[in-house]
Amino acid sequence: MIVGAGMAAVRLAQELPDVTLLGDEAHPPYNRILLSAVLEGTHDPDAIRMAVPEGIDLRLGARAVEIHREEREVELADRSRVPYDRLVLATGSIPTLPPIRGLVRVDGRLDGRVHAFRTLDDCLRLDAAVPTARRAVVVGGGLLGLQVARALAVRGVATEVVEGGDHLLRSQVDAKAGAILARDLKRLGTAVYTGARATRLTDAGLVLDNGYTLETDLVVLTAGGRPSTALARRAGLDVRRGVVIDDQLRTSDPHVHAIGDCAQRGDQVTGFVPPAWEQAGVLARVLRGEAASYDGARTVARLRATDLDVAVLGDPERADGHVVEVSNPVTGSHRKLVVSDGVIVGATLVGDLSRIGLITQHYDRATVLGPTEPGALLMPPATAGPVVLPDDAEVCACAGVSAGRVRACASVEEARATTRATTGCGGCAGTVRELVLEGASA
Amino acid sequence: MTKTHCPYCSLQCGMDLAREGRALEVRPWTEFPVNQGALCRKGWTSTGLRGHRERLTTPLVRDRATGELRAAGWDEALDLVAGQLRELRASYGADAVGVFGGGGLTNEKAYSLGKLARVALGTSQVDYNGRWCMSSAASAANRALGIDRGLPFPLTDVEQTDVLVLVGSNLAETMPPAARHLDALRARGGHVVVIDPRRTATAERADTFLQPVPGTDLALALGLLHLLDAAGAVDEEYVAARTVGWAEVRAAVASWWPERVERVSGVETAQLRRLAELLADAEKVTILTARGAEQHAQGTDTVLAWIDVALALGMPGRPHAGYGCLTGQGNGQGGREHGQKADQLPGYRMIDDPAAREHVAGVWGVDPSSLPGPGRSAYELLDALGTDDGPRALLVFGSNIVVSAPNATHVTSRLADLDLLVVADLVMSETAALADVVLPVTQWAEETGTMTNLEGRVILRQQAASPPSGVRSDLDVIAGLAARLGHDFAADPEAVFAELGRASAGGRADYSAISYDRIREEHGVFWGTERMFGSSFAHPDGRARFVAVEHRGPAEPVDPTYPLHLTTGRVLAQYQSGAQTRRIADLPDDGPFVELHPMLADRIGAYDGRPVVVTTRRGELKAPARVVDTIRPDTVFVPFHWVGANKLTNDALDPSSRMPEFKVCACAVTA
Repeated sequence: MIVGAGMAAVRLAQELPDVTLLGDEAHPPYNRILLSAVLEGTHDPDAIRMAVPEGIDLRLGARAVEIHREEREVELADRSRVPYDRLVLATGSIPTLPPIRGLVRVDGRLDGRVHAFRTLDDCLRLDAAVPTARRAVVVGGGLLGLQVARALAVRGVATEVVEGGDHLLRSQVDAKAGAILARDLKRLGTAVYTGARATRLTDAGLVLDNGYTLETDLVVLTAGGRPSTALARRAGLDVRRGVVIDDQLRTSDPHVHAIGDCAQRGDQVTGFVPPAWEQAGVLARVLRGEAASYDGARTVARLRATDLDVAVLGDPERADGHVVEVSNPVTGSHRKLVVSDGVIVGATLVGDLSRIGLITQHYDRATVLGPTEPGALLMPPATAGPVVLPDDAEVCACAGVSAGRVRACASVEEARATTRATTGCGGCAGTVRELVLEGASA
Repeated sequence: MTKTHCPYCSLQCGMDLAREGRALEVRPWTEFPVNQGALCRKGWTSTGLRGHRERLTTPLVRDRATGELRAAGWDEALDLVAGQLRELRASYGADAVGVFGGGGLTNEKAYSLGKLARVALGTSQVDYNGRWCMSSAASAANRALGIDRGLPFPLTDVEQTDVLVLVGSNLAETMPPAARHLDALRARGGHVVVIDPRRTATAERADTFLQPVPGTDLALALGLLHLLDAAGAVDEEYVAARTVGWAEVRAAVASWWPERVERVSGVETAQLRRLAELLADAEKVTILTARGAEQHAQGTDTVLAWIDVALALGMPGRPHAGYGCLTGQGNGQGGREHGQKADQLPGYRMIDDPAAREHVAGVWGVDPSSLPGPGRSAYELLDALGTDDGPRALLVFGSNIVVSAPNATHVTSRLADLDLLVVADLVMSETAALADVVLPVTQWAEETGTMTNLEGRVILRQQAASPPSGVRSDLDVIAGLAARLGHDFAADPEAVFAELGRASAGGRADYSAISYDRIREEHGVFWGTERMFGSSFAHPDGRARFVAVEHRGPAEPVDPTYPLHLTTGRVLAQYQSGAQTRRIADLPDDGPFVELHPMLADRIGAYDGRPVVVTTRRGELKAPARVVDTIRPDTVFVPFHWVGANKLTNDALDPSSRMPEFKVCACAVTA
């Protein structure tokens, strides 16, 4: 039985027949990382629904409130109990409310302008508010914050971003990259306030600690989430930041596993889908009795937002190695590879994603590169100018005809008849015509 | 002048053969629509094997005392073969004899070979090298569309489409005259998309080029489906009226967002998005797959995913749009339709279908229960040779296994364990050289027979010259063996074709209405209808099937020891195992080479023209490096026309088509 019906839970269910999925949301499982695309309008909400195999007992709106480990039962909010043989916690993370006064009204409800952005309901509620909103402030300049900011801007809402750190994407990239991003956003019409904390929400707007008051119709909170561990904690499982797991994805109770954003392996709590899916794959094998272990995944964080190009491989700010960097503030690109013993162990690509496909392949496969390769990867490929074909260059591959033989012909017809150039795929017809002319004028 | 068709690839270009004294000369046949008189150098030089000093002109039998092959008479050779086959069958059962055919054999030969296996030998162990060619496309098309005909429309239709997507096809090199249709399409304002790990000659004349990691075409298709669905570009009306299964595919591709596809395939999201927009905006889209997409352990699923794309766009059955497979071998299509495939009887009937067995047994005048059931697929057949429950004898027609089979060193060792290897060929191919009995057979231009080209157009190769004395046609050889085993087989091609027509009547590939005269008059005759799926698909309910598939990746992922992808393919001047083309003086034979990117060359210290060594878990190959910036830096390419490339390739099989994974395995390269 799996508690949760998010990305990690569904992935595991796809690998294991006959499991029960307890989802606390009312919606069937969907692809959470595409919510900003739904908001932006590039994705139809129906197109993000994920496949749940037949045979899966999917229970929606089923909130687990208690794990009775001795009885091996999970208690739901309606007090009903569901037995399990093995339990998998895939409860994900929950957004944290930043310490901003006025977010919560005196009656205990959130101010109507305030939105979280974690669930499909959050997304749909924000989506519904967009048509009547003129201005929005996104609190948090991380990946999610930037995606939401771009989505709102693309929808025509004047959007500003408030980031408490000294630059955008501060947990992923360095200050230089952050500055380029801030400039890109400004160019796209989104103002960015870094090193600024929102302190109060008033009728006038969102008040920052730098004295600004940002008039706004929407406040979207994207800063910070934490592993959802309440259930595990109440059940007495070992919990630090996340539910502590070993390389078999086991918690301190061997009958209970945890995967995805709610889990902590070593010091690591991940907030990305690829490691969560890798954990799901490993756990499926473990539960089938196959040998498998999880040793920490390589992460690739990609910003999904129109006209904002960012990729972060691994943890480039903390990875050990030589830094190979090409920065071009004029064009707004900043690209950096961290290389250790020839292997790319981290990378930041901002503003220019050329060769990202190849760089990611090298990173994922730990390819050992030659000494000049990291540099070459960051340089644009050389473009050759027009060349004069030497006489022995083959111009017609179909018939195997050299430039010299064509030059010796007086006309295209002669070249065709004597060399059979142009009689195959026809791709050389233009070149043959030019060479015949060249020969005639020589 | 004799109207005929080129002896090589599935384009089967029309040509005229003119007698000039004793020589035959190739002339253009401009009225034939597929190539309109164009030919590549292989076609122009195709008469080069006529009178070649390496032509075999007498049967050869391996002498027990010396171990060498010696000349023998036809009766001696055929008596010897038939006698040994009878003995093996008596001692070990009918399946002790295997038959291995080829996708270059005429329909008549393919039919007779299958009949020889099922009727005269009673063996289930028959398959052919086409299994290594189009089988993944075949199994996918059968599943999705209900029928397998390479192109369900004439090739010239691609000139009228809006966007043509070529997935893993290098047709400008492998079937050059076909590239004229791309140019005609572009001249009309159409758009050509090429997807290939190498920027090939075909990619050079495309408008859009995507360069994925080998073995990830499936992920690309899933990513396209994802984006098309997200953008609301799916043709809902068509999907509702003409298909089933979209809901499952839709749910499956929700997990294939562009950034995930980028990470798997190495194709940047921006490129994928542009392609999705291009497809979404086009009125007519044609998607064609070829070996690059198909020769994988997930080849069937890859083709299914691309068919899903075509269906989601509402294309199959629409004029000048749809999905098709670009067949490889000359008669890859007909070869699989008439009974040399392990699971099929003539007319594309399935051998485990009681009605099919009854019909074909009726034509053959035997009891349906006497027909064997399905046998092993090509690679599995070879893998079993000489083992306890595998065949002890193998008859090979139209195939050079030693060069063309994957994991070739292993396959060669299997051949060595046979009690009897019989090879019919024109020249002493690498496989013939291992045989106990070699039977010299006629080549193209010395015999008549039909082929079915990549469009499903049945065409006629006509005899233009007499064979050298001492040489017999494959049909004669098959009839000769059948006679010695107590069965009377026709050897005249037209008579065999008529019988094939009767055997195929009512089957999926029904040739019963086709005659040599009609083929001559009509420039070839399509089986089925010229353009298929206009009103219905070939499933009982008339609807196409969306099939939800998942990307699994190559069977052998790269690792620190073998950190590069190896892919294989063809070059323009050679054809398949090269048994013919390598012997034609006018075709350059420079031997194999290893294509690699300058970044990789720099990493390992390789120089253009200097030898490098490619190593896989199965073997190694030393060949000159060709340093080109047209290949992915994480991939190397080796052409497979020479002994060597296939010592490297992986024998992992597609679970459905049993296609080996020729197109990707893990390798290391050193200078």
